[in-house]
Amino acid sequence: MGGKITCTLGEVKNRADFIVYWGGNPAECHPRHFTKYTLMQKGKFVPEGRKGRTMVLVDIRETPSAKAADIFLQIRPGKDFEVATALRALIKNQPVDKARVAETGLTVERLQDIADRMKRARFGVIFFGMGLSMTRGKHMNSGAILNLTAELNAFTKFVCMPMRGHGNVTGADVVLRWTTGYPFGIDLSRGYPRFNPGEFSTVDLLVRGDNDAALILGADPGATMPQPGIDHLSRIPTIVLDPKVTHTSRLARVHITTAVTGVSAPGTSYRMDEIPLPLRPALQSPYPTDEEVIRRIRLAAAAKSSWKPAPSAMMAIA
Amino acid sequence: MLRITGGTVFDPANGVDGVVRDICIADGRVVPQVDGGRSIDASGMIVFPGGVDVHTHVAGGALNFARGLVPENQRAARKFLHTPDRRAGLGGMTPTTFATGYLYAGMGWTTVNEAAVPVLSARHTHEELHDIPLVDKTTLVLMANNEIVMDLLEGGEIERAKHVVAWLIWAAKAYGVKGVNPGGVAAWKWGKNANALHEPVEGYKEVTPARIIRDLAAIVDDLKLPHPLHLHCNNLGVPGNAATTVETMNVLEGHRAHLAHLQFHAYGGDDWSTMRSESARVAEAFNTHHNLTTDAGAVLFGDAVTITADGPWQHLLYQLTGRKWGNLDVENETGCGIVPYVYKDRNLVNAVQWAVGLELLLLIEDPWRVFLTTDHPNGACFWRYPEIIQLLMDVEYRKEQVKKLPAEAQKRIVLADLDREYTLSEVAIISSAGPARALGLPRKGHLGPGADADVTIYHGKPDDGRLFTYPRYVIKGGAIVVEDGEVRAVTEGREFVTRPSCDEQIEAYIRPLFPKIYTIAFENYPVEIERLRHVEILPCR
Repeated sequence: MGGKITCTLGEVKNRADFIVYWGGNPAECHPRHFTKYTLMQKGKFVPEGRKGRTMVLVDIRETPSAKAADIFLQIRPGKDFEVATALRALIKNQPVDKARVAETGLTVERLQDIADRMKRARFGVIFFGMGLSMTRGKHMNSGAILNLTAELNAFTKFVCMPMRGHGNVTGADVVLRWTTGYPFGIDLSRGYPRFNPGEFSTVDLLVRGDNDAALILGADPGATMPQPGIDHLSRIPTIVLDPKVTHTSRLARVHITTAVTGVSAPGTSYRMDEIPLPLRPALQSPYPTDEEVIRRIRLAAAAKSSWKPAPSAMMAIA
Repeated sequence: MLRITGGTVFDPANGVDGVVRDICIADGRVVPQVDGGRSIDASGMIVFPGGVDVHTHVAGGALNFARGLVPENQRAARKFLHTPDRRAGLGGMTPTTFATGYLYAGMGWTTVNEAAVPVLSARHTHEELHDIPLVDKTTLVLMANNEIVMDLLEGGEIERAKHVVAWLIWAAKAYGVKGVNPGGVAAWKWGKNANALHEPVEGYKEVTPARIIRDLAAIVDDLKLPHPLHLHCNNLGVPGNAATTVETMNVLEGHRAHLAHLQFHAYGGDDWSTMRSESARVAEAFNTHHNLTTDAGAVLFGDAVTITADGPWQHLLYQLTGRKWGNLDVENETGCGIVPYVYKDRNLVNAVQWAVGLELLLLIEDPWRVFLTTDHPNGACFWRYPEIIQLLMDVEYRKEQVKKLPAEAQKRIVLADLDREYTLSEVAIISSAGPARALGLPRKGHLGPGADADVTIYHGKPDDGRLFTYPRYVIKGGAIVVEDGEVRAVTEGREFVTRPSCDEQIEAYIRPLFPKIYTIAFENYPVEIERLRHVEILPCR
């Protein structure tokens, strides 16, 4: 069980005739998604473009994205897991409880229709957003969607993809995986990478007040974290690298202004489908790049004597 | 400058078979003579050229996907602690990049070939390869399901396809061409596969897997690439697939090719309950096809992670095992599938697979044409190669292991009847000299003057297969990087790429296709050569 059945966005453009957005509002949050990748483009195997595609939106409220949808399923808040699980049952012709489905705000007939359309699709895709992955049920909700997608492949081609955002968050995932083996929530204090979301993830460390310093790069937790976490950031030495003044930079001890990556600093950005794109600066900046600042901090730190025991003693632990 | 004195040298590429002689090193190369400098007393030790892995998966989108998919494996993996000159990391089935370098070099391997790179994410692969220290690297770009190429073959435009292939190799900054399940991965994008070599691929009228194989092999030969077409045949892992493999050999007649991980392609039977070894038939056919090389893709019992561009096979494996399944289709080019897997000695199918890998290594007569691999991390992890060497060198030990298999499995294999034992020279061939020659790397896999000074020195009794577990010294590019199995110094590895000549007008053909097929700008597609640090462009033949 589990896993992830996905593809690059060009596959969606070229092939998808059935597109589900679940728990997201791409019209406002990923405004180029419809036009560049999913709905409006004429694909190699979808030459009729928008007419050749069916779009379903699953959400708890009618957002502006609903206007773009052919089918809008408004479900009750916190019922994503139940809806996804009912769909998993229906595609396998298993019985579902009418009363339980009614609690989600939908009917069995409505879901049966979606299940049938999913199985009839030539190439289906589910994009899921934080309205699914960050509400009640959290990773269980994502798991249900991932399993639904995997199981649909017994009938037709189906893939799914999380709607990643926040700049180059995908790039951070990718690089951390190849350097440490894990995508996030990593602790290096024992000298090797350990992974435990809930224990080592940023929000949990901050809320518990476990860390005694913070270096923040390309993020604004002061705007999004729970208040206890924000309070902790303002208590400890917090260093922010950011081109702009942010909520976090205002509460930080040190704010180092850096060049804007992609505008005045080069680099690589990973798209939500993990395709790396080169960034070529159009302008010059008087400020150093993030990379340069980190490199200089590292060099300065390396010049200090190590607090760790000698390597030979450490290898015995391993 | 460095002199290795008194060691027993095995340098099969130069006809040196266990001769006591000195090896002299200056400026990162083997030289006839040096004056002064450090010397290593290798008396009583065995001196090999550094190992060369012809087929492995150590970097890029697919492997990195796998790392994220199996955190439970990483937790159980060997830990690499951060030291002043070494980066932290994890070993295990999908090692982190830095650990990959430490593990390969720690075993005495100094060159690796990353065997599956999509052009679209090649930039990512090179970033990871840069983070693998100590070993030199080559890459193969995936081509047998590239729809631009297939569309050209459909229209019979082989000459233009050749220029497109050449352009794509340089766009990816790759070294050679890989084909995976020709036509099958493209068909998988509609949930189909390509099981029959001579039937049209889903969505095509003229293009069959056989035509893709033949035309690509011809194109690679025409472009005079140092390494021939590197082919993962159709029907990987399927009972009865030996017929497909033998037929593929026939299709390839007249061209060079390398058949990857042959173990996964040498099964008989009609289904999982009747599956048996067909290594004898496959090896017999292979022995007569001197245009081909292959690697074992051997299986060892224990944990593995199967990662392949063969999407439909991975869907089948997911259905068989009910375990996690990862799938990543790449627009226009290829796909990839990932399923964690445990090979169990009590499992009939796994027992047959274990035997087939060894049988092929023993039944293929010419060690210059069959190489040591596990298709890491598919059959087993690369850091378990010494276990395979022990099985090859020690017939009694091997037969003991066979006896432990289920009685039913023993009836379906021929391993118990094989008495061949590998000599040290043959081990040097299958682990270094042979793969270096097949890859077309003239300075690798030997210790003659001019060779890169990649040397592995083992200390132990020659008749002990376990000899290879911990090298006494590993020298990479003239620097002593490993002593007593421990990494002592870290150097950065190089990347070898090729630049086959192509018609410059071909860009005018590819550019207009781009907005139709891809979702990135044409200008962002080729990897800039500046992105590869320590790169060396090797000439085509």
